[in-house]
Amino acid sequence: MSAQVEHKGTQAHLPPHPEKATMESRNKVLGFWFLIGAETVLFACLFGTYLALKDSTMGGPSTEELYQIPMVALATFILLTSSLTSVLGVLGIHRNNIKQVKLWFWVTVVLGAAFLGLEIYEFFEYVHEGHTFTSSAFGSAFYTLVGTHGSHVLFGITWIFCLLIQLSRRGLNMETAPKLYVASLYWHFVDVVWVFIFTVVYLMGKVG
Amino acid sequence: METEVQQNQAQQETDPTPESAVKHLLSFALMIGLTLVAFAAVMLEVVPAGMVIPFILVLAVIQVFLQLFTFMHLDLKNNRMTVTFVMMGLIIGAICAVALFVLG
Repeated sequence: MSAQVEHKGTQAHLPPHPEKATMESRNKVLGFWFLIGAETVLFACLFGTYLALKDSTMGGPSTEELYQIPMVALATFILLTSSLTSVLGVLGIHRNNIKQVKLWFWVTVVLGAAFLGLEIYEFFEYVHEGHTFTSSAFGSAFYTLVGTHGSHVLFGITWIFCLLIQLSRRGLNMETAPKLYVASLYWHFVDVVWVFIFTVVYLMGKVG
Repeated sequence: METEVQQNQAQQETDPTPESAVKHLLSFALMIGLTLVAFAAVMLEVVPAGMVIPFILVLAVIQVFLQLFTFMHLDLKNNRMTVTFVMMGLIIGAICAVALFVLG
């Protein structure tokens, strides 16, 4: 199967930058940036809400008692690395090298899943310590913000996973390449949001 | 830009490792570095107490611009419309965040 697919993938006439090659692909990318602009506002509102409510703990654990920095650091490095691997996948598209595209996007999906696993484990820990969605305003704001980011990660890995299946079936062409490019933009955006979450939620929570 | 495209085309046939990965790896190393500095600033208490929060926020902003301009291939000359919309998103977002924070 894989030999066939490789043949299919490498023989296609793929321009060096498929995401800029046609009007359709350029519009796809532009439209996606609009979505990113809108999502920025969504996350900004959740950040504002969290900052306003983070001290309303109703006698529950405070940010300083709750957060475990080593786990957050690990999650951060996993997500940062997955951002790099998805950009390496995009470089694979620019070289018309389907093997490279597949390898790096698969690594991205695996790293994304690892990040999600860590986050689920973290939420379990917090619930055990009495920090739940309904325990306080801090709890609601925290789980809404971090949970929305987590759901974006889940959506991202599902999306890239589906695109990888499509890539195996159809090869790297003008249909699949811009889709992967846009998915990698989404993935970087998820990473950008995480940069602010680890800074504003976790690190600032430790500073007090 | 034109020459870069031509280079890529030429390299596609001969050399499978164009130089562009170096830029991304370098940017990645910088991001890891910025992250380490942010965690160290909070955990090791090396930065003066009042300065920690502004310091790590600045580090986060630098890292975001690295992502936008290297990993997400945003460039000011060729994507003016895109940059405008992203900046509008950032500005509206910042206003919303600050307003919610202050009202709360």
